[in-house]
Amino acid sequence: MTHDTLNFEIRDGVAFIRLNRPGGNCINVQMVADLTDVCDQLEDGEGVSHVVLQGADGTFSKGVDFSDFHPSKPMDIHGFNKWEKICRRLERLPMTTVAMVDGPAIGGGFQLLLTCDLRLATARSSFQMPEVHMGFLPGMATFRLAKYIGLGRAKRLMLTAETIDAQAALDLGIIDRIDSPEAALAWANEALGPKHSVAVELARRLLNESFSDSWEDAIGHFLAAQHRSISQTAFLDTLKERKD
Amino acid sequence: MTPLHAQILSVGSANPPRSYAQQSIPDLFGVDDPRIKALFAAGHIEKRHLYLPEPTANGPTPESQSELIEKHKRGALEMGVQAIEKALDGASLSPQNIDYFCCITTSGFLCPGLTAILMKHMGFREDCSRADIVGMGCNAALNGLNPVSSWAQANPGKNALMACIEVNSAAYVFDTSLRTAIVNSLFGDGSAAIVIRATPDDCAIGPRIHGFNSHIIPPAIDAMRFDWDSDAGKWSFFLDRDIPYVVGAHAEHPVNRLLKAHNLHLRDINHWLVHSGGKKVIDAIKYNLGLTAHDVRHTTRILREYGNISSASVLFSYESLVAEGKTRKGDWGVMMTMGPGSTIETALLRW
Repeated sequence: MTHDTLNFEIRDGVAFIRLNRPGGNCINVQMVADLTDVCDQLEDGEGVSHVVLQGADGTFSKGVDFSDFHPSKPMDIHGFNKWEKICRRLERLPMTTVAMVDGPAIGGGFQLLLTCDLRLATARSSFQMPEVHMGFLPGMATFRLAKYIGLGRAKRLMLTAETIDAQAALDLGIIDRIDSPEAALAWANEALGPKHSVAVELARRLLNESFSDSWEDAIGHFLAAQHRSISQTAFLDTLKERKD
Repeated sequence: MTPLHAQILSVGSANPPRSYAQQSIPDLFGVDDPRIKALFAAGHIEKRHLYLPEPTANGPTPESQSELIEKHKRGALEMGVQAIEKALDGASLSPQNIDYFCCITTSGFLCPGLTAILMKHMGFREDCSRADIVGMGCNAALNGLNPVSSWAQANPGKNALMACIEVNSAAYVFDTSLRTAIVNSLFGDGSAAIVIRATPDDCAIGPRIHGFNSHIIPPAIDAMRFDWDSDAGKWSFFLDRDIPYVVGAHAEHPVNRLLKAHNLHLRDINHWLVHSGGKKVIDAIKYNLGLTAHDVRHTTRILREYGNISSASVLFSYESLVAEGKTRKGDWGVMMTMGPGSTIETALLRW
């Protein structure tokens, strides 16, 4: 199936999602539908070790497409809900996700990269959350950003709408590495190692929940997750390799 | 032609009149052992409704096995009538309108069974068919729902009633062991009933039952069981320490088969109704199926407010979902129960 707003292909076990709309890969209703279809394919398919999310033509994404909104019509919160649901699905995919930013990541584009496990960028990339200065909210980045960079820094970025460069994003912990796309993705492929999907999914979930769970809840969740992990062939293979 | 799936028309539940704050129970019954007190201090159960003997300064008033059997019958009658009356009221029916009646219990053995006792007490018709499912444990609501919904489907327009009635306090053994303390700190008393009918009109708001899938784990046959305690002269329930994780590890098998048979994926399921077996097994189901705390909110609430009410638990969760009022036409739901065998039962619902 082809998509109107993005290119999706699987090469050598790596799935590439390339946002591709003229004028800055802006996020519209169709892009949410296309991302939903891609998530369906990734969840149902096999053989994908990790997913790379990137943008076409030197832009990651310049955020929401305002042509979907009409000042004379009632505002509809349902579209925002659909956007958050697809962000959540990307965040919970059963394989590692890598955002490869090249160029501006603004608003919804910034929100999108926060859903990924690794976030890489080229030196010319820039990052901005201008929503509050435009009178609305930067989605559930209100939930995610402070967990990456701390409350004070998150307030500064959201309330000042400051644009930061790749080095500043690296220093804050928003991104993990600055390099060319080829070098950064080769590094990610190597660094992510064997990519055991169950262990990846459960480790990510426990980390995401660590900000809200009590220790008493977390230990129960950990034991359930660890039991699932050690019952998988990946761990049994590790044990066999150690014995050999 | 598309089969006419049976539909859940109404639900009703009842509990013993007296509830106990979980943390107060050790003190009420003179328990000093810190290991046992710690079991009751865990936060996932806040209170349970129980038919307990009046505590004395020397601990609980001892109940013989014959007194426990009598308590099961008395409690089952009290709670069973109340839950059934609520379910019948919800469907604007009386006992005279019921054509098939199934009762489920594991907390006591009766012959004649609960159906006969309740039919006499409540005035059912003499030609009402009946079945008693006894001793199948916490999973039994779905072992009952499977034949009851098939009966309803085979008899369109006729009314079936299913009641899960559990007086788990009639299966308590009080001693100083952790084995009995685990059971005594987990299980509560309660009953729940549903009315089921297969009719072409779609006026009722309840879901239709589209299918079932089962999964038994033979190596774990001894993990949940009643043993005869000859010292106490009573049946004593045993729960293996690791069985929650074993059940969790198998959970995806029946769920995947159930969904695949209907061309569905996990992401298509809007509502999860999982048995409130205990905190460990709920965690294990969540982390093996990828369910969220929100997905199992009814399961955890029922555990918190009632404890594990064995076969009735999943119907309490269903009642909680109905009360929430957020189901929409076209939604899919999965019921999932776990229990002795060890077994996992699943059912697919559609609103």
